[in-house]
Amino acid sequence: MILQSHDLVKSFGGVTAVDHLSLEVEKGSVFGIIGPNGSGKTTFFNLINGVYPPTSGTITFNGRNITGLRPHQIAELGIGRTYQVPAPFSKMTVLENVMVSTFMRTSSLRESRKVAWEILERVGLDEKGDTLVANVTLEDRKRLELARALGTRPHLLLLDEVMAGLTPSEINEAIELIRSLRTGELTIIVVEHIMAVILSLCDRIAVLDYGEKIAEDVPDKVVNNPNVIKAYLGERYSARN
Amino acid sequence: MELQAANPKTLRSSLVWRLTVFILLLVICFIFPWIVSPLWLRIGTEVVMWAGLAQSFNIICGYTGRLDFGHGAFFGIGAYVTGMTMTLLGWPFGLGLLVSGIVSALLALAIGYPTLRLRGAYFAIATWSMGELIRQIATILDITGGAFGLQLPAVLNLPYFYYIMLLVTGLTYLTTYLLVEKARFGYKLLAIREDEDAAEMVGVNTASTKNWAFALSAFFPGVLGGIYAYWVTYIHPDSVLGGQITDVMCVMAFLGGIGSLWGPFLGAIVVQLIQRVLWVVWGEGTFYLVIIGVTICAVILFIPNGLVGLLEGTGLFSPRESVNELRKKIKW
Amino acid sequence: MELLLQTFIDGLLMGGLIIIIGVGFSLCFGVMHIVDFAVGEWVMLGAYTGWLMVRYFGHDAMFYLPVIFIIFSALGWVIYPVILQVVSGKRFNPAIMGLIFTFGLSITMKGGALTVWGYHIQSVPTWLTGKTLYLGPLTIPGLRVSGFFFGILVTLLLLAFLYKSRYGNVIRATAMDRDTANLLGADVRKVGAVVYSLYAGITAMSGALIGALFSVHSVMGAKYTMLAFFVVVLAGMGYVPGVIPAAIILGLLQSFVSVYIGGRFNLAALFLVMYGVLLITPKGIFRRGW
Repeated sequence: MILQSHDLVKSFGGVTAVDHLSLEVEKGSVFGIIGPNGSGKTTFFNLINGVYPPTSGTITFNGRNITGLRPHQIAELGIGRTYQVPAPFSKMTVLENVMVSTFMRTSSLRESRKVAWEILERVGLDEKGDTLVANVTLEDRKRLELARALGTRPHLLLLDEVMAGLTPSEINEAIELIRSLRTGELTIIVVEHIMAVILSLCDRIAVLDYGEKIAEDVPDKVVNNPNVIKAYLGERYSARN
Repeated sequence: MELQAANPKTLRSSLVWRLTVFILLLVICFIFPWIVSPLWLRIGTEVVMWAGLAQSFNIICGYTGRLDFGHGAFFGIGAYVTGMTMTLLGWPFGLGLLVSGIVSALLALAIGYPTLRLRGAYFAIATWSMGELIRQIATILDITGGAFGLQLPAVLNLPYFYYIMLLVTGLTYLTTYLLVEKARFGYKLLAIREDEDAAEMVGVNTASTKNWAFALSAFFPGVLGGIYAYWVTYIHPDSVLGGQITDVMCVMAFLGGIGSLWGPFLGAIVVQLIQRVLWVVWGEGTFYLVIIGVTICAVILFIPNGLVGLLEGTGLFSPRESVNELRKKIKW
Repeated sequence: MELLLQTFIDGLLMGGLIIIIGVGFSLCFGVMHIVDFAVGEWVMLGAYTGWLMVRYFGHDAMFYLPVIFIIFSALGWVIYPVILQVVSGKRFNPAIMGLIFTFGLSITMKGGALTVWGYHIQSVPTWLTGKTLYLGPLTIPGLRVSGFFFGILVTLLLLAFLYKSRYGNVIRATAMDRDTANLLGADVRKVGAVVYSLYAGITAMSGALIGALFSVHSVMGAKYTMLAFFVVVLAGMGYVPGVIPAAIILGLLQSFVSVYIGGRFNLAALFLVMYGVLLITPKGIFRRGW
C-alpha cells in the first residue's frame, strides 16, 4: 500500500468536506475517485498534498505519516499533483516551468535543463519548450501541468480532472499519455468526471458523496452499485429502475 | 511587449549594441573621479549609492514580490552600526561595514520569519512599522547619540568613497545578476512571485527561499549605509532612518522598472537628476516629496513596468524569450 | 490605586476614539482588499481642514465635523475609480499595485501638507478645551470624553448601517464573496466606491476631532497609520467587529506603557505586541481575519 488515509476529516466552518474517509491505494496501480460535484474529491487531494491540514485523521505514504507536512516536503517525499485549472508560472517559458520542478532532484542548472527537456519530450511539448507560457493553448497547459508534476520524480501522481475542457480527440491522446506513464513504479490517483476515462484507465475506483466513501471496488462493480447510481442520478431514478 | 521571437539578425546586432554601451558605461564609471569636478563627484557618488539601494529594494519587491516599506531602515542601521563600531569600539572601517551588512541581514531574518509566510499586506505593515520603530529607538537611546546624532572621524578623500560605493553597488548588481537572474535561486524566486502555492507544490521551499532573499536584500543597504556614514561623517535618526529613504528607493525602483536588472540603475539616475533640478529651481524643501508621491502613483497607473518596460521595444532590453531563442541559434 | 484607575480610564477613552479609524480601515480592506497606507494622512488632512475652517470661518471645531465628513467622502468618491483601475489591472500583481499606490498617495499628501503648512504644530480650540470632568479622584478632560463618545456613536451608527440596513447587507455580502455578490445583482464597483468614500469621510472626520483633541501637525499621519495597522492586525484583517475590543486594548496598552514605563516606549510596545500576534495568531486574536 503506497497511500493510506485513516478516518480523514476536513471541516471548513460548518461544512464537512471530507467525512471520515479511509482509503488504501496499491502501489503501481491506477486508482480512480469519482463523485458528484462537491463530494470532496479535490479537498481530499489538497489534504494529501499538504495544502491544508486535516481536521482529524492521518495520511500515510510509503509507511510514513505525512499528515501536517508542508507541500514542498510532501513533494520531496514523492507525491506530485496537477490542478484542474492549470496554474503555470506566467513570466517563464514552458521549459523553465518544468525546470523549477526538477530542482529538488538535480544539482545544477544544466542538469535541470536536460531533465526538463526529457520530460517535455515525454509529454509531447518539446517543440514548445522555449515558448512563453502565456502563448500556449489549454491542452498544452494541461500537458505542462503534467510535465511539472513529473519533474518532481513522483512515486505517486495525483491527477485532478485532467480531462476537463478537452475535446474528445484530445481526451484520447491524454488517456494514451497517462497509460504510457504506467511503468510499475508510478502509482496514479485520478479524479475524473468522464466515465469512459475512468473505466478505461483505472484498476479500482472509489466513489465519494458528501465527503464520504459510498463505494470502492473494481470499475464494473462500482458502475452497477445502486448507491452510486442513487448518488449521481437521485433517488427517484434509482427507485424507478 | 511583443511576445514573438525576434529576428536573430537584429538581436545579434542589438546584443553587440548592448555590450558596447555596457563597456562604455563601465569605463566611464571607473574614470569618473578624474574627469569631473568635486561637486559632480559628490553627486556621482550619491547616484551610485542610490543605484545600489534601489536594486536592493528591487530584490525583495521586484524579484520576490513582497513590499518592504521599511527597507530604508537597513540603510540607517548600517550607518549607525558602522558609526558605533568605529567610534565606540574603535574598529576599522572595513570590519564595521561587514558587521553592518550582517546585522541588517540578521534583522531581516528576524522580521521575515513570521511575516513572509503571511500575505503581502502583513509584510508591508510589519516592515513599515519596524522602520518607524527603529528610527524612534535611535532617537531615544544614548549610545546612538539620541536626537543629536553620531559623529564619525573625518576623512577627506572623495574618490576613495566613490570607489567604495561603486564597489559595493557593483557587487549588488553582480550578485543580483548571478543569483537572481541566472541561478536556480532566481528561478525559484520568480516561481514564488508568479504563483507561490504552485511553487511550493513542485518542491520549492518557499518560506526559506523568501527569507534568504529578504536577508540578501537587507545586506547591501546595510553596507551602503556604513559607507555613507563614514563619508558624510555625521548621521542622525532623521537623516538616515527617516521614511524618505524608503520612499526614494521605492520610486527609483518602480520608475526604472521593477523586477528588471537595470531598472533600479536607470531609476536612480533619473530620480537623482530630477531631485537636483528641483533643488536648484525650488530650493531644498519638502516639495520633492510631493513629486515622489505623484511619480509613484503615476508609474503604477500608466507605466507599471517602468522605463525599462517602455524601452523594451527598442532592443536595448530584450524580452526573455527572444534572448533564449538567440542563444539557441548562436549556440552559447 | 488612583493612578491605576486614571490610567485605565485614559486608555479606554483613547481606545474609543481609535475604534472609528480602525473600523473604516478594516471595512475598506474587507470589501476591496486594499490596505490603504494613507489612512494616517486622511486623519491629518481632516485635522488640517478642521483647523482651516475654524480659522477662516469661525465657529467651533465641532461644528465642522459633519462638513468635513461630506467633503472627504466626496473626495473618496472621486479617488475611488483611480484606485479601482490600479487594483483590477492585469499587471504585475494587483494587490501589490494597490499597496504601493496608496503608499504613493500617503507620500503625496504628507509632502503636500509639509510644503503648504511646514513643520509648525497647530492647535484647534473648541468649547470643550479645558473643560474637565471630575469623578471622585479622577481627572477626565472633557475633550477626551467627548472624543470617546463620538467614536462610539459613529461606530454604532456605522455598524447599524452595516448590519441593519439593506445596503449594509449588500456591502457585507460583497466583503464576504465578491463574485457571488456580483452575480446576485450587487453593483460591486459602486459598493467599493460607497465604502471607500465612507471610509475617507469618517477617517477625516475623526482627524478633525483628533486635531482638536491633541494637535495638528504635518507628520502626524504616521502615528495613526501605525495605530490603524495595530488595531487591524490584532482584530484580524477585515473582521470589523473585532476592531472594538482591539482598539480598547490598544488604548489601554498605550496608556499603561506611557504611565508605567515611559511615553517613548509606546511605539516599541505596540510593535512588539503586533509582532507577537503575527507570530502566534496571524488571523488576529479572534482568528477571524483574512
